[in-house]
Amino acid sequence: MSPAADSIGGEVLLQATDVAKTFGGLKAVDNVTFALRAGIITTLVGPNGAGKTTLFNLMTGHLVPDQGEVLWLGKSILRLPHWKIARLGIGRSFQDLKLFANMTVEENVETVTERGSWLWQPGGPSARTARKEKVEATLAATGLVDKRHDRAVDLAYAERKFLSLARILASGARLWLLDEPASGLDPGSYERFLSLLRKQVREGVTICIIEHNLDIVQGISDRIAFLDQGRLLAEGDPKTILSDPALAAIYFGERAA
Amino acid sequence: MWAYIVNLAVLISINAILAVTLNFILGYAGIFSIAHALFFGVGAYTATFVAMKLGADFLLSTAAGMAVGALISLALALPALRVRGEYFVAASLGLQMLAITVFTEWKSVTGGIGGLTNIPPARILGFEVTKPEHFLVLSLTCLVLIILIIRALVRSSFGRSLKAIRDDETAAWAYGKNVAIIKTTAVVLSSALCAVGGSLYAFYLSFINVESFTLDTSVQLMAMVIIGGTATLFGPVVGTILILLLPAGLSYLPYLPPTEIGSIQQIAYGLAMVLLMIYRPGGLWGFQEKPKAKEGGAP
Repeated sequence: MSPAADSIGGEVLLQATDVAKTFGGLKAVDNVTFALRAGIITTLVGPNGAGKTTLFNLMTGHLVPDQGEVLWLGKSILRLPHWKIARLGIGRSFQDLKLFANMTVEENVETVTERGSWLWQPGGPSARTARKEKVEATLAATGLVDKRHDRAVDLAYAERKFLSLARILASGARLWLLDEPASGLDPGSYERFLSLLRKQVREGVTICIIEHNLDIVQGISDRIAFLDQGRLLAEGDPKTILSDPALAAIYFGERAA
Repeated sequence: MWAYIVNLAVLISINAILAVTLNFILGYAGIFSIAHALFFGVGAYTATFVAMKLGADFLLSTAAGMAVGALISLALALPALRVRGEYFVAASLGLQMLAITVFTEWKSVTGGIGGLTNIPPARILGFEVTKPEHFLVLSLTCLVLIILIIRALVRSSFGRSLKAIRDDETAAWAYGKNVAIIKTTAVVLSSALCAVGGSLYAFYLSFINVESFTLDTSVQLMAMVIIGGTATLFGPVVGTILILLLPAGLSYLPYLPPTEIGSIQQIAYGLAMVLLMIYRPGGLWGFQEKPKAKEGGAP
């Protein structure tokens, strides 16, 4: 990786060092060292089965790596339970969305703003007002105001995608790990989606996206990391990575011997 | 006839307490426990034990039943909730079987198969509840209080966390919910409130034995919840009324030999469950609590 690539973005928020994960005989993630820098959109690309989602799972505590270290702002989060990692400000979405299907749109958003799990929340009435405002602002930003009383399971496909974004937005996460958030969106929804992400990045959010569509990748990335067969093959600015014929060959399946 | 109706009403209100507390974990938290009768039993035996040793103070006996129920459920929930979904069903089945053995064999406390007789009538704040009508007031008061407690719980952030866990446990973890503690708390609360039903039952009948706390009871409670409507406040009450009135109703039908009513009842339950699953998966009460009408039209 070139020194120039390292200079894109601000401080390192999340750093995975030499992490590896094996499932049975398969090395899903093979000694990957990878940093997410503040204030930019980093895209993880690579063919299916490259280990992108597993890398997300390792970075958020959903899986414990066989080896290596994961640091959040320089501190190890390897031994933390994943709900605590979430509260540090690392939010994620899932490829299969994992919405709270039988709760209303509003409840889906409301519950992620609530830090305490008990009858009352810390902070008293002012915190309650702040949470309410957060819910309203989130519903407005994701275009779900009219759907607030609908159950998540009754939403249309694009609305579900936006609800999954709404949840991460309302959670107040500083780092968003998005697993194929744009797949299947029509051009109109896709534009709304992109502008939402860009606005969030301007407001200080850091984003890492797993994405297959190279047009989207080109349009949105400040930095690209290319994974194949569990290894990080290349990392850098979009122009360099996307114009690399060797990577294109891997991505489009013309794997060289 | 009046005595018959009052008796039925008391039994309905006691069973409704059990069903409502089961629904709290089954409907709102997605924890399919078939060990609910266990906590019914624990409440009944503990209340009886306290009543016989320390005097029949209803509040004291019930509080003891709730405390023991809570402690036992805590001890059971901590290991059992580590497993998900269908494995918890199997684990709770094991607990239920274990409990029956304990209820049957721990003769010094439970009286074994013969059970415990001559439980003194409940005293509450110095007033002795002997008349069935008075007991009905007591059991209905308990039911209403428990419904209000559960209503407050499910409408709070705790309730939203429970529903989030029910709908997707992985996502709940990923959004900072301490799933293990929340589920354990739900089971402990549900078991403690269920024990109130046990205490009422013991004082009402003044006789208890293991027969009332078997797997059949657990399954029947589950039927009440599912038929009435899971994750609704009043669904379990509706389910309880239906299931307890069914045998009474059947006995009025001509051409039915009284000896066959038991098996016809089973057929009716089974049929009702199948039809519900097909036509009303939300339960009978389910449709009443659908989300309110949409505000504003489609975009």
